[in-house]
Amino acid sequence: MSEQVHNRLAVVRAERKVSRQALAEAVGVHYQTIGYIERGQYNPSLDLALKVARFFGLPVEALFSLEPFQPLTDEVYGRKQ
Amino acid sequence: MTTTRYDRHMYALMNDRRAAAVHATTTRRRLAVTAHVALTAVGVGAWIGTVFGPGWGLALVVAGALLPWVLLTGVLNGSTRGLLELRGRMLDERQLVERDRVRALAHRITLWLLVAAVIGAGAYSALADAPLRAAVTPVLVGVLAAHWMMPLWVAALRVQDELGDTEDEFAEAS
Repeated sequence: MSEQVHNRLAVVRAERKVSRQALAEAVGVHYQTIGYIERGQYNPSLDLALKVARFFGLPVEALFSLEPFQPLTDEVYGRKQ
Repeated sequence: MTTTRYDRHMYALMNDRRAAAVHATTTRRRLAVTAHVALTAVGVGAWIGTVFGPGWGLALVVAGALLPWVLLTGVLNGSTRGLLELRGRMLDERQLVERDRVRALAHRITLWLLVAAVIGAGAYSALADAPLRAAVTPVLVGVLAAHWMMPLWVAALRVQDELGDTEDEFAEAS
């Protein structure tokens, strides 16, 4: 049984204005594979996860996690009650 | 890893998006698979009738089914982005995993099809009081065709719809 790996790839990709095609070419996969990862339908290998993290210049744990990610706005500004 | 001109040609062919609308949705892919299964059944059935039957009239049916069958095969291969047609070195890690899953699932389905074919041929022989060998050749040819095509049908049925964007969503912004 495979563990669900959560990711915030779509958010980071949108924030950096990088298309799936551009990211896919940079890390050497088919552009559909980026979509599958974003939808949580495919867990990337460690090799691919590290390549994606390197592309964005982020630590891999900023993009992939075993726990669900908090919304970025919550992390930056905190959740107001 | 070295790729050949053939690899690159096939990759471009399998990722040609001009016919993408034909297999863009789950419903369209299911329809294409259903039509392909039907055409395969008609074509193989007519071929068996031509070879083992009394006349050659059914050869026209084989000829008529061939062109749409080839076109639909291309549509299904396009929908999978060449999952089963491209060499492994042209597929990424997710596609290689998916190809293995498709082959495993198709293998299981074909196994049950073989079981059904054996039981069916035995039942036909018993009920129709006909020699079993009369049913063996058509059944074998039919199962062979199903075994050959099953991975393609399974792969096409497992394809997910494209997400909203494709390659140019941020092209203008960047």
